[in-house]
Amino acid sequence: MADVITVPQVRPVQPALRFLRVIPGVLLLAAVGYAGKLLEQNVGAYAKVHHWTFPNIEYVLWAIILGLVISNTVGVPEIFRTGVATYEFWLKAGIVLLGARFLLGDILKLGGASLVLVAIEIAGSLAFMTFLGRLFKLKPKLTTLLAVGSAVCGVSAIIATKGAIEADDEDSSFSIAAILALGALALFTFPVIGHFLHLSDRVYGLWAGLGVDNTAEATAAGALYSDAAGKLAVLVKSTRNAMIGFVVLGYAIYWASKGQAQAVGNKAAFLWQKFPKFVLGFLLISVLATYHFFSKEQVGALANLSRWAFLLTFAGVGLRTNFSDMRKQGLRPFAVGAIGEVVIAGFTLALVYGAGKIFGW
Amino acid sequence: MSAEVEAGKTGSRWKLSLDTWAVLVAFLLALLVRTGVFKHIPW
Repeated sequence: MADVITVPQVRPVQPALRFLRVIPGVLLLAAVGYAGKLLEQNVGAYAKVHHWTFPNIEYVLWAIILGLVISNTVGVPEIFRTGVATYEFWLKAGIVLLGARFLLGDILKLGGASLVLVAIEIAGSLAFMTFLGRLFKLKPKLTTLLAVGSAVCGVSAIIATKGAIEADDEDSSFSIAAILALGALALFTFPVIGHFLHLSDRVYGLWAGLGVDNTAEATAAGALYSDAAGKLAVLVKSTRNAMIGFVVLGYAIYWASKGQAQAVGNKAAFLWQKFPKFVLGFLLISVLATYHFFSKEQVGALANLSRWAFLLTFAGVGLRTNFSDMRKQGLRPFAVGAIGEVVIAGFTLALVYGAGKIFGW
Repeated sequence: MSAEVEAGKTGSRWKLSLDTWAVLVAFLLALLVRTGVFKHIPW
């Protein structure tokens, strides 16, 4: 399970040594990601020259597939694991830099509309997952972790909630494995369904941001559809992430009232501690871009830096997904997660479809 | 976002979250682009 949970371990080692330890894995992320980019550029051209019918596969998918193949065949050797776990760091740095491509007005407009959808999605998902957990007689804290993971932001939300409600390591491992496995499935199914239903970039981007749990997978699922859909998926997913503190605080108070977790002292400090700081970074960069702190060329450069950061992220998504580890976690939590995800995906699709009709998206 | 990464000193006040590190690095890169150190980033 250790290679599924990607939280770096805090060990008393020298900073220089810690920095050196991440280098092999980061180089592996870069190599896999760049190989994906080369495959995108060359496979299509090769197929065209030889008159083959071959679908245009984007670097996002190539990077994930290459990572999956490595992880599930030869495996990721220990020397690379610390560096591979940095994929979440690159994801967040990439999201902050992506802020340069958003004008503040667009964020307020889209964020405002998506905020309502996010609130409905979170409330609906929490209620449904809690109902499913009780139906399948899962342990209450395991149900809470699965509900938070599905409703808010995947692995990060589970880890934040685990500490706040004092859940077992085993429960959080179950939940994380289920959310990661389902996120991997969503990566491949969401774009297919989107194309099948001829969803516009806006409707699809909203759907991916609302329906896919983990931020990395939501970003990839959006980027797999189109650049515009990818941007919107990141914005909506970040809005969901911003809600994490409130949801975790609610559960912490609930479990403390039952005497099964420590009471929350300073609620404002708790909210700040759980708040995803990269959302603030994203907003700040977009404010700077809106007020022309960056020239047009500089915005282009920042957008490209963001793409490079995402390239490492997508490679990491593939490299950290190991199906045999996930199988070991048992069927029931996975079944609850799977049923929940299918229903939430259908629910959020109906939600954005309805909003699209109302607002003419 | 809850993953804690040590900032280099052993004291807990020097600990920064993964999120904060990502924001700092992103802003450093943005500053390097703004000041012209990185003029063109190819894709």
